[in-house]
Amino acid sequence: MKKIEQRAILCCVLALVLALGLGVFLARYLVRGGSWVSSPFNRHLYNTSGQLAVGTVLDRDGDVLSGVENGERTYYDNATVRKATLHAVGDLQGNIGTGALNAFADKLTGYNLLNGAFGAAQGGELYLTIDARYNYEAYEALNGHAGTVAVYNYKTGEILCMVSAPSYDPLNVPEDIETNPRYEGAYLNRFLSSTFTPGSIFKTVTLTAALEKIPDLDSRTWTCEGSVQIGDETIVCSGTHGQQNIGDAFANSCNVVFAQLAQELGASTMKQYTDEAGLTDSYSVDGLPTAKGSFAWEGITDGQLGWAGVGQGQDQVNPCAMMCYMGAIANGGKAAKPYLIEKTVSPLGLPSLPRLNGKTSQLIASDTAEILAEMMAQNVQKTYGTGRFPNMDICAKSGTAEVGEGKTPHAWFTGFLRNEDAPYAFVVLVENGGGGSSVAGTVAGKVLDVIVNGY
Amino acid sequence: MEILTAPAQALVDTVCLLLERWPMAGQWYMAFIRFVFPVLAILIVFRAVRSLLRIPHTPETWGQLSLPNGTPILLTHWENIIGRSKNADVYLNYPSISRQHAALCRGEDEDWTVYDLDSKGGTLVNGRPVEGSAPVKLGDTITLGGVPLVFLPQTVAEREELEEKRRAERPAAIWPSFLWLTVFQVLACLQLLVAMGAEATAAVPMAFFGLTAVMWVYFAALRCTHCVGFELETIAFFLSTLSLSVTASSAPGSLFKQFLAILLGLVLFIVLGLFLRDLERVQKIRWLMAAGAIGLLGITLVLGQAKYGAVNWISIGGFSFQPSEIAKICYIFAGSATLERLFRKRNLTLFIVLTGVCIGLLGLMSDFGTAAIFFITFLVIAYLRSGDWTTLSLICGAAVFGAGIIVKFKPYILDRFATWGHAWEAASTTGYQQTRTMSAAASGGLLGMGAGNGWLHKIAAADTDLVFGMLCEEWGLLIAVLAVVCIIALAFFAARAVRVGRSSFYTIAACAAGSLLVFQTSLNVFGSVDLLPLTGVTFPFVSNGGSAMMSAWGLLAYLKATDTRENASFAIRRVSQRRLTEQARRRAEPIDDPFADQEAADEED
Repeated sequence: MKKIEQRAILCCVLALVLALGLGVFLARYLVRGGSWVSSPFNRHLYNTSGQLAVGTVLDRDGDVLSGVENGERTYYDNATVRKATLHAVGDLQGNIGTGALNAFADKLTGYNLLNGAFGAAQGGELYLTIDARYNYEAYEALNGHAGTVAVYNYKTGEILCMVSAPSYDPLNVPEDIETNPRYEGAYLNRFLSSTFTPGSIFKTVTLTAALEKIPDLDSRTWTCEGSVQIGDETIVCSGTHGQQNIGDAFANSCNVVFAQLAQELGASTMKQYTDEAGLTDSYSVDGLPTAKGSFAWEGITDGQLGWAGVGQGQDQVNPCAMMCYMGAIANGGKAAKPYLIEKTVSPLGLPSLPRLNGKTSQLIASDTAEILAEMMAQNVQKTYGTGRFPNMDICAKSGTAEVGEGKTPHAWFTGFLRNEDAPYAFVVLVENGGGGSSVAGTVAGKVLDVIVNGY
Repeated sequence: MEILTAPAQALVDTVCLLLERWPMAGQWYMAFIRFVFPVLAILIVFRAVRSLLRIPHTPETWGQLSLPNGTPILLTHWENIIGRSKNADVYLNYPSISRQHAALCRGEDEDWTVYDLDSKGGTLVNGRPVEGSAPVKLGDTITLGGVPLVFLPQTVAEREELEEKRRAERPAAIWPSFLWLTVFQVLACLQLLVAMGAEATAAVPMAFFGLTAVMWVYFAALRCTHCVGFELETIAFFLSTLSLSVTASSAPGSLFKQFLAILLGLVLFIVLGLFLRDLERVQKIRWLMAAGAIGLLGITLVLGQAKYGAVNWISIGGFSFQPSEIAKICYIFAGSATLERLFRKRNLTLFIVLTGVCIGLLGLMSDFGTAAIFFITFLVIAYLRSGDWTTLSLICGAAVFGAGIIVKFKPYILDRFATWGHAWEAASTTGYQQTRTMSAAASGGLLGMGAGNGWLHKIAAADTDLVFGMLCEEWGLLIAVLAVVCIIALAFFAARAVRVGRSSFYTIAACAAGSLLVFQTSLNVFGSVDLLPLTGVTFPFVSNGGSAMMSAWGLLAYLKATDTRENASFAIRRVSQRRLTEQARRRAEPIDDPFADQEAADEED
């Protein structure tokens, strides 16, 4: 019998396997329970049409962006506000993954481990960091163009404005949404989930590398004759800028100069600075991952390197990552990580715990950041015009990204304010909008004017 | 019937009326009571599980072997291996004795036999060499490798001391658990009535109070025979209560059927338990049980109907039945063996053939969950019987190879497992059930939404294959985990009770039953939450289904038959120990009591 007793360990082993598996399940339950609960088929929280039947989404001022009446989900009264906040709030069909109704459903319902969905029918309140007014202005300013506008506080991390277009009214979903080219990519939050050719705004990265790696950069001069031959590529400039120093070249956004700088720096240095700038990283915005930018530095010719140095070629950046880089330049090299949830209030009225928000890594050396910021401020004075940005100590870079033969280029405008009471970084992208400064700069001006100078 | 339904209906009407008058009362009741249920559940289960895990206890003693220097070695089993190996039950460290020298086994009619296990030194009884086996009587001298051992009974003092000790170790009184379980049942019934509201029927209180009554009648009846161990039954009744609740939520119409299944299960438990008392009787019927297992599976294959992909149901006169559930009981019965048999037939050939036929039939039914359960049970029994890793590894290898061949010719089988680990990516197709289970389970939190307040029961097979999700949703994670812990405790009990087991038949059967229950629970729980492929097996005692319920209770009888604590189990014949003491007394007293034998016989039940 003693022999059999030893062999009976097998029985214990099976029991332990069951216990172990149960442990794995419990661990998963702890970690993923919130997202399991937030499934449209969960009838404790969702109605029969799969709409989240509990919870209120508000903006930072307490304007109700989406609530529930009689088990049906309602939205803000104004259709433009609905469109402007769609990608932050979410739709009824669950197509917009970044919307609060989908992404933050567990927080909206006040789900917790002890009670599960019990009592969740009353629903909690979720305050977003965005302001409906700013989103409205930004959406209007985009004027029907596809693109994205975002503004955030680089000291705290709050995203004040986040618009993605094309958008639609969640209460009147267009019937041709799947087929009409006007709505192409409407479910996508371009700010978080897309990458685009950066064009000249990428020159901020090339310039950062040059400032640190080329000691006599200040004393150099270049002559721009409209184009330059590098290897087998002809790098074309937007104009003929003549003789210029680095500051002028940056303000003129001179491709000739920056292509040569990139070639001089070499692919590996360019890769190093691009990675350091966080452009190839993914940020987590309250758990929503941003798209990673992508570059092709490996095995490229000098000519291709020239194009890559001016933000063309294979370069792709995510608007959110770009905005964080701007925040880092403004904030001595590290910016606060962006976030979207201001606070939550549970059904029992309990407030959420205070947020511990970290900073990004060192995206740029702090003394380089200071020089770069000054040069970006000069850009505005020399090229873009300060009149469009009243009461703002603004530093910016425009971009006009070529996206193919016969297509209007993407217009970019990104930068930050150095105002002590308005520490905002911003990014504006107008797809196929045209000139960076003229089109995207105007959108940025309108939105920043409302944010800084009020109504 | 009228007498029974009338008060139940009156109760339902009263609850409905009260709810109509004070609608908030129901809400308050449900909000409050969900904190009470886990506490009650822990009170019920804690005592039983703690008591089960205190095993092993002081073993029964059947005689002793006296060494040349007078040191006695107690025989604590019906089957004892004598040898120089540390694993021998009677450990004799003499160089002339083989590692596994001889076995001393007790038959049902108290006659003892010594078996020589091909020892080098040889075995003698009273100086006569033993060829194979020889009977031994008290007072005989057994010589192993030249070492004489005298086979003696214990003295009166020793017997009395032993009985004293064993009596002191009697399991703790279990009635508090039964009392808490009754409170649990009453509150659960009320909870269900409140949650169902106007849809409540008299069947709910009838089923619950029926279970309470059955439980107490069983308790009273066994207490009358001085039975004291009720741990296994407590666990089974607790899980059966959850089963009634699950059934009430998902299929109120089958409540009566489920109650009947519990009752039949209990009857099967008792009948099988009583049958297991007599080892000789058990030995004779093993062939019948093997035939039964094959017959049950064969009939299913011929007459079976498909349900959720597997052809494992038989419908006779409106009653549907899953014979493979009962086949599990027969299979374990046929597979377990006494030590004596293990010597005579060392190889596992016949058992492997039986297993092959059973698994083959299950494979033809496409019931892969049950096939896996049979295979694991086979491995446990085969390992306990032979202890031979090599053979088992070969068999496992062959099984993997066989599975590979089957998959090659029937690749569509793999489709069933394609979703495994990716349920959320196929949430509306093949991962439908698993994702619903996880979502509902998470909705329950630790305390649950309250019995009758779930939605998972609307999903197909929610009360059987996905029942773990229903437990989590309606009863909360705490109680769901407790249900699994109960099953784990059963397996640990089976493994630990081996040391004090009478015969290897009982211990092998108990370990096999414990392993089967644990593995089946694993398949059920992990299948429903996508840790394993969903195979569609039931959670023992909890799932809605008559055959599964009966099977679980039946398997419990094997565990009951290995519980050798003093007066703990009805499946253990108690008289034999008492008779040993009587005989010791009689030997001590010079004057014979002519009626002693008669009395002893009378006491035998």
